[in-house]
Amino acid sequence: MSEQPFGLNRRRFLQVSGATGVLAGSGLTLTSLKPREALAKQNPDARPWGSKDTKITKSICHQCPARCGIDVYTTNGRVHGIYGTIDHPISNGRLCPKGHLGTYLLYDPDRFKGPMRRTNPEKGRDVDPGFVPISWDEALDLVAERLNNLRKKNESHRFAVLYGRGWGASDAGLQGTFGQLYGSPNIAIGHSSICSDGSMIAKELTDGNQSYNAYDYDHTNYILNFGAGFLEAFRPYNNNMQVWGRIRTKSPKTRVTTVDVRMSTTMAASDRALMIKPGTDGAFALAIAHVMLTEGLWNREFAGDFRDGRNQFRAGETISPDNFEERWVKDMARWWNEEVKDRTPAWAAEITTLPEQTILEVAREFGSTRPAIALFERGPTAHSNGAYNGMAIHALNALTGALFAEGGLFYQMGPPYGDLPVNADDYMDDHARTMQERISTGEVPRVDMKGTDKWPMVKNMQQEIGPNSLAADPYKLDTIMFYLNNPIWTSPNPQVWEDAMRELFVIDTSPYPGETAMFADLVLPDHTYLERLQDAPTYPFQGFPMTQIRTPAIKPLHDTKVYGDTLIEIGKRIEGPMGDYYKALDNTENVLRHLAKGFENNPGDNGVNSFESWKEKGVWYRKPYHWRQIRGEFYEWDGERYSKQMSEAEVAEKLIKTPSGKFELVSTKLTNHADYINRELGIPRQRAGMIQWLAPVYTGEGNLHLVTPKLALHAEGRGANLPQAQAYIQPIAGGRGNIYLEIHPKTARDHGIRNGDKVRLKSNIGEITATARYSPGQRPDVLILPMELGHWAQGRWAKNQGPGHSGELTENKSDAITGLASYYSAMVSIERA
Amino acid sequence: MPKWGMVIDLEKCTGCQACTTACSMENNTVPGESWQDVLFYQDGEYPSSSFNWLPRPCMQCENPSCVHVCPTKATYITDDGVVLIDWDKCIGCKYCMIACPYGVRFYTDEKPLLEPDVKNVFASDRGEAQSWAPPFQNPNEDWSKGIGIQPDGVVSKCTFCYHKISKAPEGVSDLDPRDPELVEYVPACVRTCAPEARYFGDLDNPDSHVNKLIGDKRGVRLKDETGNKPKVYYLTGEGGSIPAFTDRTKSS
Repeated sequence: MSEQPFGLNRRRFLQVSGATGVLAGSGLTLTSLKPREALAKQNPDARPWGSKDTKITKSICHQCPARCGIDVYTTNGRVHGIYGTIDHPISNGRLCPKGHLGTYLLYDPDRFKGPMRRTNPEKGRDVDPGFVPISWDEALDLVAERLNNLRKKNESHRFAVLYGRGWGASDAGLQGTFGQLYGSPNIAIGHSSICSDGSMIAKELTDGNQSYNAYDYDHTNYILNFGAGFLEAFRPYNNNMQVWGRIRTKSPKTRVTTVDVRMSTTMAASDRALMIKPGTDGAFALAIAHVMLTEGLWNREFAGDFRDGRNQFRAGETISPDNFEERWVKDMARWWNEEVKDRTPAWAAEITTLPEQTILEVAREFGSTRPAIALFERGPTAHSNGAYNGMAIHALNALTGALFAEGGLFYQMGPPYGDLPVNADDYMDDHARTMQERISTGEVPRVDMKGTDKWPMVKNMQQEIGPNSLAADPYKLDTIMFYLNNPIWTSPNPQVWEDAMRELFVIDTSPYPGETAMFADLVLPDHTYLERLQDAPTYPFQGFPMTQIRTPAIKPLHDTKVYGDTLIEIGKRIEGPMGDYYKALDNTENVLRHLAKGFENNPGDNGVNSFESWKEKGVWYRKPYHWRQIRGEFYEWDGERYSKQMSEAEVAEKLIKTPSGKFELVSTKLTNHADYINRELGIPRQRAGMIQWLAPVYTGEGNLHLVTPKLALHAEGRGANLPQAQAYIQPIAGGRGNIYLEIHPKTARDHGIRNGDKVRLKSNIGEITATARYSPGQRPDVLILPMELGHWAQGRWAKNQGPGHSGELTENKSDAITGLASYYSAMVSIERA
Repeated sequence: MPKWGMVIDLEKCTGCQACTTACSMENNTVPGESWQDVLFYQDGEYPSSSFNWLPRPCMQCENPSCVHVCPTKATYITDDGVVLIDWDKCIGCKYCMIACPYGVRFYTDEKPLLEPDVKNVFASDRGEAQSWAPPFQNPNEDWSKGIGIQPDGVVSKCTFCYHKISKAPEGVSDLDPRDPELVEYVPACVRTCAPEARYFGDLDNPDSHVNKLIGDKRGVRLKDETGNKPKVYYLTGEGGSIPAFTDRTKSS
């Protein structure tokens, strides 16, 4: 994939420089001289930056999940520059607009300077917490005392840890064993249900992998993008843009159709921009499937074919299951007969508001171009019908044969980490064992009710925790700790969380004074990322295993502690064998050293085979991904090529992990939950598993859809206090130092709103104000307010800047199947303020 | 002596503004003082609207109107073709800002874009000699070239990261950020550009990749009719949105 550098290769340099006589008299032979050596000969002190004291440390960016390798430039103990690491597979020397701003995150003047205790018992938005500094020992002892007491009272389940961006084994990875040893089902609960579980679970229900995908964009010729902010927020953003530069200038040029609910840079850069009605992507996808089948454009090698080779898919007509021989998909005939045969472009045009002719054209393009990828994540799935929308889109990947194919999509391999020095199973006391039993029998459910009859299929339900604890259903928590998680700001209907957190002992570990920290009883501030030692295995990227490591560029500026060590130090203070376990773990550096032992027998492609070399390079990786589907057959990598043909059983075990071992057009798992689906979604039991159109149920009230995208400069909620980020945010509405509400001029005039007016947005749960900007490119039935500002804490630049926070208009409703919060389903009304 | 020039491929540019942030951090500009900006244009109406953007650094003109009008000769062209400002000589009259057809010059003492003003939050103790003191200062300061933290009352602009490019090995045709041996000499905006929409090289070297691109892909210059002769070329590809006024046989 990597091309030869075009500019100065060594030969050309030598030709040019030799001709101009630069080297005359240098005494060096031409063949041994590199440009930098030549430079050093000319001027030993010449450095483009700083002085000979300038140091470059390898680290990993922290501002989105992508995990770009970064070079951090430090001179005389000051960080003054961040650039992408040139030999890192994701960043390749490049960065997105956020990456460079990390220096501000380090030197944020509003950071917590050390651990602090609350003195004001009253909690509220404009209430000064009265934080006073305490020592780390005092702070950790205070936590341990609470936790030991809860254990003694047999109430250890009332301690919960909620985390946002879990980076790796040295932070979030330590939490699971903490819960096991301590005896709580609520340690730790991830934020995935307010993130993008809709995509993961849609994939689990169809191909058996509860995961995001890895993609081979470089070899695809068509991307049908359903609502992914490919050039703004979709991970790995930086690498997506690198991909964009290649696929849009290769031959043939990769064609891109983007379907979204608003005009964006991604839409504008695509070949087609289709502005769809919110929540109706599934109808569009089903119509594409309909056309692909009726026009014979599906991939027969992957999906199968009619036994006589003649296409019998005709709109509105059923086929005989006996006539169709399936290959890697299951229930094609049933899916066609009971769903897809009627999903014509004309039908979809009514629902999606996209023209019938356009749907037909896109379907023909997508169906007749190979390889082709149907891409989606949160956009179509953050709705009440998210699971079915996602499944319908993913079915297109089965029809075009993109699964596990070159130019298609697949899944991510993990790194070969070494074992920790101790095994948690050996350190469980009676309390831990009893709790394990009570949890496994369902006697003590998770506080979010995951896995109960309320949410039987979800991964997490973070958005339920505040309301559930407040309602003491299933129980009230006692103590709650947050890691990179700010639910008082990010949750749907976060107002409820304020009430919930008033009742609890709240511990925040953020380095920054966010909203949740303002409700904290104890602040145990983490290092910022440029000060941390921390691992970060890749998110699904290109499938091959990869794991990165952050190395501190400078000593911590303040009296902070890396979260992994905070957790270990609390663990050491728990009475009984649990304390011994954490004494044996000792600290995160020890954990990382043990993880790195796994590289000794698995050296990375860049030679990394130890803790030291891992830190030096910043990344361990080993190409390639090990499996590939070629013309309907699956092969495994033998060390040189994809040569080992796999049996159906092997495919089912390693790749298509559904109960049937096939891509399921009628999901076995959903069928098994037919009663639940019938109760929650009103779908007839016999159709529960079918990939189908289900109309979205919009939340809130009013006649306008509220669209709340994340922008390129949205550094996971921490961008709001970055002056540079705020200076350049929201390009489309011309935002400079503000976030504007984009509104179609016609809609605005209908409501008596002029360009630039202050407006009030109302839903059934709240109201906020914003500044309206006419944006004639947007749909007249949507209002666009990026989720970025509206903080009432988080630092001096974030606080009370810009419009209100979109979350405060967003009702807490979730997709019954995936549990993903329906962030994009809110309806609101608008008026001049 | 090279004649440094830049090529920006608008077909690849994703409008992400990484060039803008990389530049602002590298050169310690205050928020909103974007030596390298990306301008966004919205056109048309739903469902057929379009949305375009144009990244805009200093054009580093060969015949720069800003240099012609400067009463104190504070702004000048280096031998390798870069337009710089000597802050020791600049009197802050802003004549150059009016003369520049591209709007790429900035005055230090403008009203802050964001409150609280970063200049107060990161206040300098050097008085007028330094308008603010960000905690992450570029260690290379050279007032004679307009590099470093700006003093009060001067005009500033893109230097093509002169503190980097001026140290590049002699005879290099292109500063390719993919080359580990050259990456440190590459201007910040070019170095970070993820879709590789930016190229930087020697316009006097007929073998340079930048010249090849300008030739093969019909590079155009902004407002060529002014006679300023920019050394920043745009490639418009299929998605081109820059009118080409250039008569290639007469220019440069």
